[in-house]
Amino acid sequence: MTISAPVATAARAMADRALSWLHAHRALGALPPGTTEELTDPDGVYKPLGESTLAASVILRDGMAGPGQLAAAQSLMDFTWLQLRKGDMLYERQLRHTLMTDPLEMYAHFVRCGYRHAELDRLLAHRARLRSVHSVELLPNRRLAVANAARIAGLDHGEDFGALARTTWLGATPEPWAINWITAYAMTHTVFHLTDWGGRPEGLPAPLTSYVRTWLPVWIDIWREVQQWDLVAELLIVGASLSEPYCNPDDWEAMAALQHEDGLVPCDGDPVDDDPARRFKEHQHTTVVAAVAGSIALARAARAQ
Amino acid sequence: MSSRAAYAAAADELASRVLRALRGAGGAALVAPHLDSSPDALAALAAVRVIGADTFTPHILTGAPFHAADAAAVARAFEEFPVPGSGPSARPDERTAAWRDWATAQLLARTRGYVGNPVATVPPEAGDDLTDTTDWQRWSVRMAQLAPLATPCLDGPVRDAARGAALPLSRGLTRSVLRRDFPTAVRLLRWLALLRHDGIALPVDPEPVLEHVRLLGGASPRTALDLAVAAHLLGDGTHAGTTNTRGTNARSTNGNGTDPDNRADSDTSAGAGTGTGTTPHLPTEAQA
Repeated sequence: MTISAPVATAARAMADRALSWLHAHRALGALPPGTTEELTDPDGVYKPLGESTLAASVILRDGMAGPGQLAAAQSLMDFTWLQLRKGDMLYERQLRHTLMTDPLEMYAHFVRCGYRHAELDRLLAHRARLRSVHSVELLPNRRLAVANAARIAGLDHGEDFGALARTTWLGATPEPWAINWITAYAMTHTVFHLTDWGGRPEGLPAPLTSYVRTWLPVWIDIWREVQQWDLVAELLIVGASLSEPYCNPDDWEAMAALQHEDGLVPCDGDPVDDDPARRFKEHQHTTVVAAVAGSIALARAARAQ
Repeated sequence: MSSRAAYAAAADELASRVLRALRGAGGAALVAPHLDSSPDALAALAAVRVIGADTFTPHILTGAPFHAADAAAVARAFEEFPVPGSGPSARPDERTAAWRDWATAQLLARTRGYVGNPVATVPPEAGDDLTDTTDWQRWSVRMAQLAPLATPCLDGPVRDAARGAALPLSRGLTRSVLRRDFPTAVRLLRWLALLRHDGIALPVDPEPVLEHVRLLGGASPRTALDLAVAAHLLGDGTHAGTTNTRGTNARSTNGNGTDPDNRADSDTSAGAGTGTGTTPHLPTEAQA
C-alpha cells in the first residue's frame, strides 16, 4: 500500500497544525526558574520538552513542511535548546548521574539537527566505554531507545539491533489478541527506535514488519473504538514507518478530524479543558505524536514518488 | 406471545441438548424431545431455527444417529417461520439467515429415513458480500453469524469464501478477543478450526485462542457448543468432550462420554454416510 492522496492531505494538516500549536504554546512548556540538573519531577516539564524537541527535529529532518513551518520548527528547537541552557543542563545532569540515559536520549534529538555540546560529547564518549553503562538493566524497548540515541549521537555502543529487537515483546511475534494498552506502547516504541522514527524503515527486521502489517489494522481498530487517540496516533506512526507503509485513509482522516482548530490533538475521548495550562499539560504529548506521524507519512509519500 | 427471553432460553436449552449429545450422551432423539418438553412451543420451534445446522453437529462430528423424528421436527420449524428472502435486494441479515437456512436444509435433505423436504436447498445467490473482505470488521462479524456453516460436510460459497480469507478471519478473531466479545470470537474460531482441518495455513495459532476463550468466554450453552465444535475440528477430542460443563447445565457424561481419539476423522465420514437435512435460521444476536 502506498500513501494515498487523502492520507497525505490529512498528514499535512495534522503535522502543520500540531507544530503551530506546539510552537505557539511553547512558553507553557518552559522549565520553572531555577531548575537544576537535579530534577524533582523529570516527567513534569523536562520530558515534555524533549518530546517537543523530537517533533521539531523530525519535521526538520524530513523537510516536508513549508518554509514557515520549517522556521517554526527551528524556532521551537532553539527555544528548547535555550531551556536546557544550550546543553549545559544535559551535560550537568549526565555528569552528575553517569548511568542515567535521559540526557543522551534528549541530546540525540538536537544532534539530529546539528546542535552540539562539546563537553557533553566528550562525557558521552567516556560513558560509552563503561561496562557499567552497558549493563544497566533496562526494558528491551528502552534499551533500543538508548541504542538509537547513541547511534544518532555518533557513539558506538556496540549494540546488535537485531538481537535487541528479538528481546522485545514485538520480537517474540506474540499472540496478537493478548496485547494490552501499555504493551501496545512498548510495541510502538520498539518500532520507533528500530526505524529511527520512520527514517530507516529497513531497521525493523522483515519478520517483525510482516507481523506488524498483519495485526496493526486490528490494534488501530480497537483503540479507535475506545478513543485512545494518543495510542492511535502512535500506531499511525508505526504504520507509516513500515518498509511498505500501512496508512488507511479512514484512520488518518478520523485523526485529522479530531484535531482542534488551533492544532491541539486530544489525548482521548474526554472533554478538553479550556484552561491553557491544562490543555498543554494533558494534550501536548498527543499533539507531538500527531506532528511526528504527519511528517513521517509525508516523507514516506515523497520517497515513494 | 413468546418473549425474547423465552426464545433465548429455548435456544440455550436446545444447544445444551446438542452439546450433551456431542459429548456422547448419545443416541437419543434431540429435537423432538426439545419440542415436547418446552413450556413454550413457539419459542421451542424458533430455537430449532436459531440452532439450525448445529442441531446436526453430533451426527456430523461423531456419527451419532439423527432420527427421522428429529428431522420432522426441524421441518416443522421451517413451516412455522417463513424462509426470508435471499435475492440481491434482500437485506444483509436476511441473506445471512438464508445461508443458515440453506445449511440446515442441506443437512435435513440428507437425513436417512426422512421423507419430504419442505425447504428449498437451492443456495442463495452468492454475491460480493461473501468475498469482499475490504471491511474485514463487518465481514468477519457476518462470518461469525454464519458459523453454523463452519462444519466439515457443508461445501459451498460460504466455505469457499472462508478458505480464501484466513487473514480477515484471524483479524476478526483477534479483534473479538480484544473486545471481549467471546461469542463472536468462538464462532470465528470455528471457521479457523475448519480451515486448519482443511490444511490451510493460519496467521494465528488457534489452539491458545481456544483455551483462552474457554477460560474467559462465559457460560452460554451456545458458546459452549461453538467451542466444542472448534475443539473437535482442531482434533482436541478430549476438550471437545469436556468443554465448559459448568455453563451448560449439562450433566457429566464421562464414562463413555469422551472419545479423545480421532474424532476429527469421523467428521468426514459421518456427513457423507447418513444423510440428514435441514435449514438454518437467523442469528439472534447481532455483534458489532
